[in-house]
Amino acid sequence: MKVKNMKTLIKMHLFVILAVLATSCTKDNYDKPESHFTGKVVYNGQALGVRGSNGAVYLQFWQDGYELKTSFNVYVTQDGSYSAILFDGVYKLVTVSNNGPWVSSQDTVVITVNGNTQKDYEVVPYYTLGNINYSVNGNTLTASFDITGVTTTRNIEYVALMVNKTNFVDFGDGTHVNWVRNMNVTPGHVELQLDITNDLANQKALYARVGLKIDGVGEGVYDAGVYKIK
Amino acid sequence: MKKINILLTGIISLVFAGCSDFLDRKSESILSDEQVFSDQNMITSVLANYYGRIDWGQSLERGDNFAILDEACISNGGPDNRQDFGNDMWRVYDYTLIRHLNQFLQGIKSDAAAGLEPAYRNQIEGEARFIRAWVYFNMCRCMGGMPIVGDEVFAYSGGMDITTLQHPRSTEAELYDYIISECTAIAGLLPDDPSANTNAARANKWAALTLKARAAVYAASIAKYNYLTPDVKTAGGEVGIQASLAAGYYETAYNACREIITGGRYRLYGDNPDKGANFYEAICKKGSYEVIWARDYHYPGNTTGFTNNAIATSVRGDIDANIFTPTLNIVEAFEYRNNRDGTLPARTADDSDYIYYDNAQDIFRDKDARLYGTVVYPGSDFNGIPMTYQAGQKYWDGGEWKERTSSTGSSDADGDLITADNGPDKSSSQYINNSGFNLRKFVDYNRDASTRGRGSEMWFVRMRYAEVLMIAAEAALELGKPQTEVCGYINQIRDRAGIQQLSSVTLDDIVRERRVEFAFENHRWWDLKRWRIAHQVWDGSSESYSATHYSLFPYRIKDPSHPQNGKWVFDRVKSTWTSAYPRYFQLRNYYNFIDQDWINRNPKIVRNPYQ
Repeated sequence: MKVKNMKTLIKMHLFVILAVLATSCTKDNYDKPESHFTGKVVYNGQALGVRGSNGAVYLQFWQDGYELKTSFNVYVTQDGSYSAILFDGVYKLVTVSNNGPWVSSQDTVVITVNGNTQKDYEVVPYYTLGNINYSVNGNTLTASFDITGVTTTRNIEYVALMVNKTNFVDFGDGTHVNWVRNMNVTPGHVELQLDITNDLANQKALYARVGLKIDGVGEGVYDAGVYKIK
Repeated sequence: MKKINILLTGIISLVFAGCSDFLDRKSESILSDEQVFSDQNMITSVLANYYGRIDWGQSLERGDNFAILDEACISNGGPDNRQDFGNDMWRVYDYTLIRHLNQFLQGIKSDAAAGLEPAYRNQIEGEARFIRAWVYFNMCRCMGGMPIVGDEVFAYSGGMDITTLQHPRSTEAELYDYIISECTAIAGLLPDDPSANTNAARANKWAALTLKARAAVYAASIAKYNYLTPDVKTAGGEVGIQASLAAGYYETAYNACREIITGGRYRLYGDNPDKGANFYEAICKKGSYEVIWARDYHYPGNTTGFTNNAIATSVRGDIDANIFTPTLNIVEAFEYRNNRDGTLPARTADDSDYIYYDNAQDIFRDKDARLYGTVVYPGSDFNGIPMTYQAGQKYWDGGEWKERTSSTGSSDADGDLITADNGPDKSSSQYINNSGFNLRKFVDYNRDASTRGRGSEMWFVRMRYAEVLMIAAEAALELGKPQTEVCGYINQIRDRAGIQQLSSVTLDDIVRERRVEFAFENHRWWDLKRWRIAHQVWDGSSESYSATHYSLFPYRIKDPSHPQNGKWVFDRVKSTWTSAYPRYFQLRNYYNFIDQDWINRNPKIVRNPYQ
């Protein structure tokens, strides 16, 4: 190609540079993830309550197809539900051994996320809590519930009735202002009583919840709901 | 345009012509194997580099690491909001160093090193293998069994099958076995005489035997006590050792200790008749004949900021002070001379009133002398300078004691001190003491050493004879040897501390003795893990004394109308303003997590429990 003068040459170069710059801008940007993924940790269709504070219970998400892998954690909140905003694609969902209050299994659940997706995660717990009732009589909080052993390979460390000033109520330090524990309990009907005179007087809000700690597992199983006292 | 073409041709031809030697030049900054391995000074420098790369976890490099457990708290600035221990806390994974050590071992056996004296070659081979065993030991106590690569120097060339470079994890027992067998082998290569070893900075025969004893007693206690945490194991044995191996490991530990004891090269330090000062010198005076292996530092050039961080306000050399300070918990872990309960008698037995003391130090009278050697407490001294800790004044008003506090170092209208320079106070100001104590162990008396610019050349003791005695006592106890023998070891240590002898010893006594003898020496975390009691001691409950940091607040009574005017009283208080949460050791903390990145590179590596 014969170029007539320097000005044209510069113009041509400029054009090429601009063209490259302008097109490259669109290439390396992804849209943000927009698919809502939600679900619950369930046993027999019933959500399991867990510790919802301190990032205690989580599921690991993995994705195949890349040379290097890194998992990311999706945290389970205290009513047993979890949610994440993801890119569409195929994910593998696993639990971490002895993290949640259920029997460790390395079963992988494959999930195809395509738009908003709902998928529960089935587990086999050690124990479940049922027929949970709370009542307040004067300054005494009473909770009654039934413990059902599902997989009794592990013992019950204790059951507890806790109250806290926020609706995060669990065994963690700072997530209960008062509690009573029974260290010697077997499956069946349990009743716990807690004197909440000071808590009623000092706290602006008060929530109650029961939980069961399993031997050798980091976390316990809880009531999936909380009971608002005031 | 023609001109440009000519110019381009010129440049291109120049570039190509210039290339011919350019890529083949000899580097002037990289030494060849021949240059290194034929020269003793070079070899020493290379070894020194390795010795300088093995300070992990609690060491003088990072003093605030001592505040993570129950020995100290963070005094400086805002509260320490840690709630649990990280899955990668103090994790060691250093195959880079192992590769370098294997290259070194290859080098000293190559033709380049043919001119070295055999004895010298044995020594440096022993040292390199000792450091390698130490690296493995540190990895093992973090993560359990890890790949053992032997003397292999890994090299990759294009197109080769990389799976041949990927070794699976060994079992925990296999890795301890490897460390033990390496120590046995190198004990014969290393020098025997400690006197030639400046500041115990290099490994000798006795360091190898101490590492052997320590590795064996770790393996033994894991084998014996793993039943307390039955889930802390893996199917392949990478974590967890079977109980039947415990006795053999205790035997190995016991025999290694006997060899050191009968070798007679080391004994407990005892030059200073003042037992408290003697204990400080035993650990902090370079040249102490009790010290078997230390990380030495030297001014100028090789110093730490540890003294600068730990120093008390009234004796500091710079603005920094009190970054971390000892807790009341560690102070009370020291017994009284004739009372095994070390709790400070701050209040009467029925808790109805204070106990009033004429001098602040009176509450510490008859304490284990090691308390003085470890901690600067109210009324003690720092290199002869009296140390005052006063949180404020108390006065009697309306039927109860009330307190008057001020900014640190202020006095009232009568000229009487309100709050001392050294605090303690509950503020989150920088450099103000929050716990009522300062550290003495590993803190340099030289005031210049606490300045930022200079730093301290205080050494960090990694192994000393007292540990040999304690391992001997523990192994003898677990092997069912006569109590007279067990007590014989532990009572040497208790005699030096000036406290009553024991006539029978249980594991609990060993746990207590090791806690105070080796406070701030990077033993506590590993000890509680191997005995499988860490999750009970640090149970995450703010109702538990062992999991929660406490402080001691001394007050002077200023109330001329009160009979106790001028006396000292003490409040034992939960340090919620500095350590907001109790220590919470969970079962997953017994072994660090395996990093996903390592698995990506080597899929044969399996994960740890709770991961």
